[in-house]
Amino acid sequence: MAHISLERLVKRFGKQTAVDRLSLEIKDREFIALLGPSGCGKTTTMNMISGLLKPDEGNIYFDGQSVISTPPGKRGVGFMFQNYAVFTFLNVYDNIAFGLKIQKLPHEEITRRVNEVTRLLQIRHLLRMSASALSINDMQRVALARSMITKPKIFLLDEPLSNLDAALRATMRAELKKIQQEAGQTAIYVTHDQVEAMSLADRIAVMNFAVLQQYDTPYNIYNRPKNLFVANFIGSPTINFFEGIYRKKEFVLSDFSGGIMPVSPKYAKEVKAKLKQERVVVGVRPEHLKVRHRKNGSGHNLKAKIVSYEPLGSKTVVYMHPDGNPHAIIKSVMGSGYKPKLGEITVLDFEEKAIYLFDKETEELSLRFS
Amino acid sequence: MEQKLYVRALKFFLIVAVTILFFFPIYWVFSMAFKPFPEWTAAAGKIYWYPHHPTINNFRAIFSRKLEMSPIAGTAIRPIVNSLTVSIIGTGIAMVVGVFAAYGISRYKAGGNLPFMLLQLRMFPPIAILIPIMIMWAFLRMIDTWYGLVIIYGVVTLPFSVWLMKTFFDDIPKELDEAAIVDGCSNIGAFFKVVIPLAKSGIASTALFVFILNWSDFLIALILTDRRWTTIPVHISKLQSAMVGALYGPKAALAMIAAVPPIIFGIMIQKYLVRGLTFGAIKK
Repeated sequence: MAHISLERLVKRFGKQTAVDRLSLEIKDREFIALLGPSGCGKTTTMNMISGLLKPDEGNIYFDGQSVISTPPGKRGVGFMFQNYAVFTFLNVYDNIAFGLKIQKLPHEEITRRVNEVTRLLQIRHLLRMSASALSINDMQRVALARSMITKPKIFLLDEPLSNLDAALRATMRAELKKIQQEAGQTAIYVTHDQVEAMSLADRIAVMNFAVLQQYDTPYNIYNRPKNLFVANFIGSPTINFFEGIYRKKEFVLSDFSGGIMPVSPKYAKEVKAKLKQERVVVGVRPEHLKVRHRKNGSGHNLKAKIVSYEPLGSKTVVYMHPDGNPHAIIKSVMGSGYKPKLGEITVLDFEEKAIYLFDKETEELSLRFS
Repeated sequence: MEQKLYVRALKFFLIVAVTILFFFPIYWVFSMAFKPFPEWTAAAGKIYWYPHHPTINNFRAIFSRKLEMSPIAGTAIRPIVNSLTVSIIGTGIAMVVGVFAAYGISRYKAGGNLPFMLLQLRMFPPIAILIPIMIMWAFLRMIDTWYGLVIIYGVVTLPFSVWLMKTFFDDIPKELDEAAIVDGCSNIGAFFKVVIPLAKSGIASTALFVFILNWSDFLIALILTDRRWTTIPVHISKLQSAMVGALYGPKAALAMIAAVPPIIFGIMIQKYLVRGLTFGAIKK
């Protein structure tokens, strides 16, 4: 049982604010991901939860109890570090048993728990090995075992998979999720990898410049991004943004010379009601933006020139410039069979209900039709 | 082919030349130690490149109660014991203080500008601080005492131990201490249980370095000792006689003996001198 509640946490390093008034509620047994670019304050947040850092302001509650003055070792957290922090001067057994030995548990109990954990992680054959001789993959498991063995209520993982190769990463991702669910712990996972965050987490807290941008389910983070940053950060390839002005039931997009995006009557009313000002940013996910070779009935006249493409097998990513504007890049995800011709002028087509409208000034999402 | 041979010959020649340059003084001390008086004295008017009549009389001479040729110097046993005592205790002080200070500086940025001030200590010519220290020590009656010497040895080598240990601690990822702390260690517990074992090789090589500095010191011991606590280097300088001048033979013999402890110490800690451990964490 561990419900975590962060209350207006502030941490400054000198003049720099690393975490700014962060409030988060994490339910018992929930798996949440702290996602953001490097330097956004996610690791600092993690260190404050574990107790390695003292926040300058705010409070942290575990199950309603403030833990602000509890030392890290007494908080009941397991911490898995990005570089694993395995003690090379000890063998694998002593590494895993380290936390229990500090707690001065009886010898038999320690052996029993080490056996239990190593069986679960399938590293029993490594027990007598020196930790300095481990491969990276095994080191990762030893680090996981060491943070699990004290049976922490809260499991903190700081980019635990970033040093693994891609294939193993996918396997470990599934394994981590399974282990967390079996152990019934609350887990906080720090990552800058959106795929990890989206696939593992029940909820994702997206941070940037020390500030929490959005805290929601992966589905909502993707489909209802709160602002331009979240929309841009999540999704690969990244979302297309077009700056423009809404006027007389159509968007005039500045990236395209004279490019016009009409709004159909059934949405016009809603757009008018929701937009606080006429200057907007129109967002279109690459998978919603299709390349057409001739004008179709939708009334768009957005022309683009194909400059490059990536045939990725299951899909083809097409890169284009708006016609006459080589400074902007447009991305489109097409089917696997699609073969673009470089240099061809095409017409962009997208469903109206798939677009995101952001306020140009506040950068917040103002409208999503679907 | 020809040019290649020429390059190789030049390389070989250079290697041999540099080796001779470095090893000749050592060879000279060793050979001198076993030369009888007529071969090492300048009065011979001839250079003996090796001992023609090898003898251990030089060793006998330095350990005899009264050196026949020199009324100043007594037996060398006392200076050897003195050197060992003050060098070991001085190194101990520098290491204990240095390791703790370096950890504080490395992990907690303790002391502000103190690390740089410590380094600045080394920029003075030692003699500039030694005269005032000699006067202070004279007032404190610490001239010619083991503690008078040991304190100075500990302090003078402290910048080295702090800076060397700091670089070793900087190399140990702080996640390792943090992992121990999360597992329930106190800060000090993490230091002793995790950081010290990891820094063993650093501690060993730093201690060896500091020991050699103390062991080979001449100036400080010359100024701060008189009779009872003279160290080997000072004793070597005292091996003079009014009749033949510098007693090069006995000097060389004592110098040879002086080379032994650092070598033994070096062999003892050899296995810790191997660096390049990854400290159980992946470098970013």
